[in-house]
Amino acid sequence: MDNGITSYCRITNKAVVVNGEKHTIPRTDSAWLSDIYHAENLSYPKFFKMDNLAKAGFLGAELTLQDVGIDKTEPKKNIAVVCCNRSSSLDDDTAYQQTIQNPADYYPSPAVFVYTLANIVTGEISIRNKIMGESAFYVMEHCNPQKFCSFVRGAFSDKTIDACLCGWTEYNNGNCDVLFLFVTRNELNDLELNIEKLYR
Amino acid sequence: MEELITELKKEIIDVLNLEGMTPEDIDSDAPMFGDEGLALDSIDALELIVLLEKNYGIKLANAAAGKEVFKSVRTMAEYVSKNRTK
Repeated sequence: MDNGITSYCRITNKAVVVNGEKHTIPRTDSAWLSDIYHAENLSYPKFFKMDNLAKAGFLGAELTLQDVGIDKTEPKKNIAVVCCNRSSSLDDDTAYQQTIQNPADYYPSPAVFVYTLANIVTGEISIRNKIMGESAFYVMEHCNPQKFCSFVRGAFSDKTIDACLCGWTEYNNGNCDVLFLFVTRNELNDLELNIEKLYR
Repeated sequence: MEELITELKKEIIDVLNLEGMTPEDIDSDAPMFGDEGLALDSIDALELIVLLEKNYGIKLANAAAGKEVFKSVRTMAEYVSKNRTK
């Protein structure tokens, strides 16, 4: 890649771009994230159980890793997963609240409750790719490249980490805003600039 | 039986929030738990137990029986058909 990042993926409500290439996603009656899943021919039944935030993060990670060539079946301790967003798990928190809102129809759904933590996203990505390095999820006001980079650099302070799958993973109230990157130790110098450029 | 299987598939999609999935996407004979089929887990088993109780009046007290009942949508339908009280 000419921008000094091994691989990246940008997903918004309007488009999916992987390493500079816009992917064609036919719109159907299904939700946008499901349309992406089908158009990209992904096969991971657990996807359908995830909340929208986890789906967005999962898709970002899948598409970013598409051409990186990591073995999803082999456990890996040298890759870290670092995600951040603005709304944490508010989208699913709201859905869960609705299951307990009405005393006449009170049912605290376990399937909804399990996603009321933002860092479930990093867990889902780690499980899918058998990544066993450090994982972290940060919440911040907006996608701030400087802070984003400091979190990624923090992951690399562990000398056993060779690469980091990192992403701005925002989903709330139908608004999807995702930027995922696969970054190696050698690519840290220009990371802040690259995030700024790719997030635009 | 096929009608009940389709009904159960719709209910499973609803209670597990399988957004984007249709009854046609679910293989009636595929394993519901584990890495294949629907890839459900213990949290989902809870939802299915509640579904049986709420919609069919079946109380599944024995966890070991649950393993057999929830093998596939078809085994679930067969159990519902034999044991439903509503």
